[in-house]
Amino acid sequence: MAKLADSVRVNTIPSARKQRALRKTNVIGWLFASPWAIGLLCFYAIPMLMSIYFSFTTYSILQPGEFVGMSNYIDLFHDPLFWKSIYNTIYFTVFFVPLSIFFGVALAMMLNMKVKGMAVFRTIFFLPTLVPQVALAVLWMWLLHPNFGLVNGMLAHFGIDGPPWLGGEAWSKPSLILMSLWGIGQAVVIYLAGLGDIPDEYYEAAQIDGANWFQKTRKVTIPLLTPVIFYNLVMGMIGAFQQFTLPYTLTKGQGTPANSMTFYVMYLYENGFRYFKMGYASAMAWILFIIVMALTGIVFITSKRWVHYQGK
Amino acid sequence: MRKSKKFAFPILACFLAMLLLVTACSTKGRASDQDGKGITTVTMWHGLTSIDLDNMNKVVKAFEEKNPTIKMKLVYTESSEGSDQKLLTAVAGGNPPDVALFDRFKVGTWAAQGSLTDLSSMAAESGITKELYYPFAWDESSYQGKLYAMPMDTDSRLLFYNKDHFKEVGLDPNNPPKTIAELEAAAEKLTIKDGKRFKRIGFIPWYSQGWLYTWGWAFRGEFQDPATGKITANDPKVVEALQWMTDFGKKYNVEDIAGFTSAAGSEEMDPFISGQISMKISGNFTVKGIEKFKPDLNYGVAPIPTPTGTNFTTWSGGGSAIIPKGAKNVAAAWKFLEFLGKEEGQTLLNADSQISVIDSVNDKYGYKDDPIMKEFINILPNSHNRPVIPEGQLLWNELASATEKATRGNGTPKENLDKVTETVNKALEKYDK
Repeated sequence: MAKLADSVRVNTIPSARKQRALRKTNVIGWLFASPWAIGLLCFYAIPMLMSIYFSFTTYSILQPGEFVGMSNYIDLFHDPLFWKSIYNTIYFTVFFVPLSIFFGVALAMMLNMKVKGMAVFRTIFFLPTLVPQVALAVLWMWLLHPNFGLVNGMLAHFGIDGPPWLGGEAWSKPSLILMSLWGIGQAVVIYLAGLGDIPDEYYEAAQIDGANWFQKTRKVTIPLLTPVIFYNLVMGMIGAFQQFTLPYTLTKGQGTPANSMTFYVMYLYENGFRYFKMGYASAMAWILFIIVMALTGIVFITSKRWVHYQGK
Repeated sequence: MRKSKKFAFPILACFLAMLLLVTACSTKGRASDQDGKGITTVTMWHGLTSIDLDNMNKVVKAFEEKNPTIKMKLVYTESSEGSDQKLLTAVAGGNPPDVALFDRFKVGTWAAQGSLTDLSSMAAESGITKELYYPFAWDESSYQGKLYAMPMDTDSRLLFYNKDHFKEVGLDPNNPPKTIAELEAAAEKLTIKDGKRFKRIGFIPWYSQGWLYTWGWAFRGEFQDPATGKITANDPKVVEALQWMTDFGKKYNVEDIAGFTSAAGSEEMDPFISGQISMKISGNFTVKGIEKFKPDLNYGVAPIPTPTGTNFTTWSGGGSAIIPKGAKNVAAAWKFLEFLGKEEGQTLLNADSQISVIDSVNDKYGYKDDPIMKEFINILPNSHNRPVIPEGQLLWNELASATEKATRGNGTPKENLDKVTETVNKALEKYDK
């Protein structure tokens, strides 16, 4: 209480000396923050704002280019590969994000059971996330090799003629989704924390009411896990739209077969750094920004209906 | 609280001063390229490793002995897409190295961006002329009649065939296919298919180095009109080549072949080394791999079959050295390029590793007596280079994608190649201004 009174006094009767001291403190504060602030400005804010301008020019990094108005954007809408890359990216997002939530929650629930040696199991499922994306790509190229790969070898054992996986136009994206699902350990850890947050009382109450496992999951676990699912949904979506390393490594930047693996950011990179069309690439980046912003906005708006926070 | 604030300013000042010092150092380092003793330091960015790096060090040593006033500083920048990005930022930032090793394929693009130093007059003064080199090497280093790069090494593409497989199916191992028809017949004999799965496939036109460039030229097509510089990917002969590739794919079912082409292993898992493919189009750069992983592989190489069985050809690429625009020590850098491009430098540079761009050097290496290497060398005078245009990469990607689309039945070869021609020529328009 005394503290409060003190601060009130400072605010109401500011002496000139005190004000000067305050200003000096501010300056010092800013100076200390300056490396970070300058860094943010130089390497983040200014380049980002510049890219808006560049998206209206034929900037090529090596040459400043000229102002061409909306022509980059107009060209983009007439570029079949642009649409193909959007289709590929949305295809990946639509399948990968829900699947990753489903498998993530399922895995987390399994790993949340009170069994001996659970730490070992948890580690096993987390380990794949430690594998660098490039190594992951090479590893899965071997596993999914149509003729000598382990996966098709095993399928052949059961008399199934395996698909061409990464070699087939129709199978390449599902293969990529499969590979990406292998690395959901990070999300599982977050789900596990979310599961740990659910108080036992709810389960006890449900037990007393005679709820079975399925009912408990549907009415207690899932609703109380929605804040975590919400977080993973947003992050997963943003991540999926920026898919780059895996398909780039798998196809050596070519997006083969038949451009079925040309993802949005891959095509952006190709335009910016291989065709020297940085203006075009900047336009693509801003379109992606708008798409991701819009989708995130939609998720946020709908979240009021399906995300349940505890204690509310 | 009061007391600690007193120290805040001095600490901050120290920190900022240090920051200044650190940044100052890096600019100072460049300023001292020319030190008091009159020695010029030439910085070179490269992506060389193992034997190629050893060779380069030998070149540098010999060069420095002859030019005591110049000191070479070799800086390794990874040899991939990434190194181009570094060079790109360095040139854009106005602080490039004096020399950089560079894929000749990119000369057209970078020269059109005004990022390479024109070497023509310096070359003329030093007596470096087109006649010294294989014609394609010089052409690929030049853009619009001016020399922008010093060619360093090259390669060529041929038909590799497994002699044991040939014997097994009753083909003459010393008489590889010369015409397209013979190639098809041999491929059919060599293929063993079990359901959808190939136990062994005779040949896949587009596997490894079987690009549309390879077949387009084999069918005597042209990709660029020499008079106008316009791209002619829809040249009837090129269309014919792609049609042949498409028909070949249809016969063996493209989706089944896809198993080989997209996921085939490399190195010791290379299907040619493991005997899963009997013939392939590949370059001299895979010969070393065969020696390393399966030295007893009984194989031969022959010119790429053509429709008539005559007029054999191939195409070549390779490395070069360039002086980026904005380099500080152009004169000294040129001295090194000159040394690199003349016979002495070439001999040191490519020993036991690459094919030189100078015919006499390859002779000196004894390549012409080697049963495998001699085929690669002998074809070089008739070799092509990819068109040197500002949009070389676009043309490459468009051709690759057209090949894939056509062979997978996604539009006819003619339609796809018309589209390539249109797209690339449209992209080239803006450079004509």
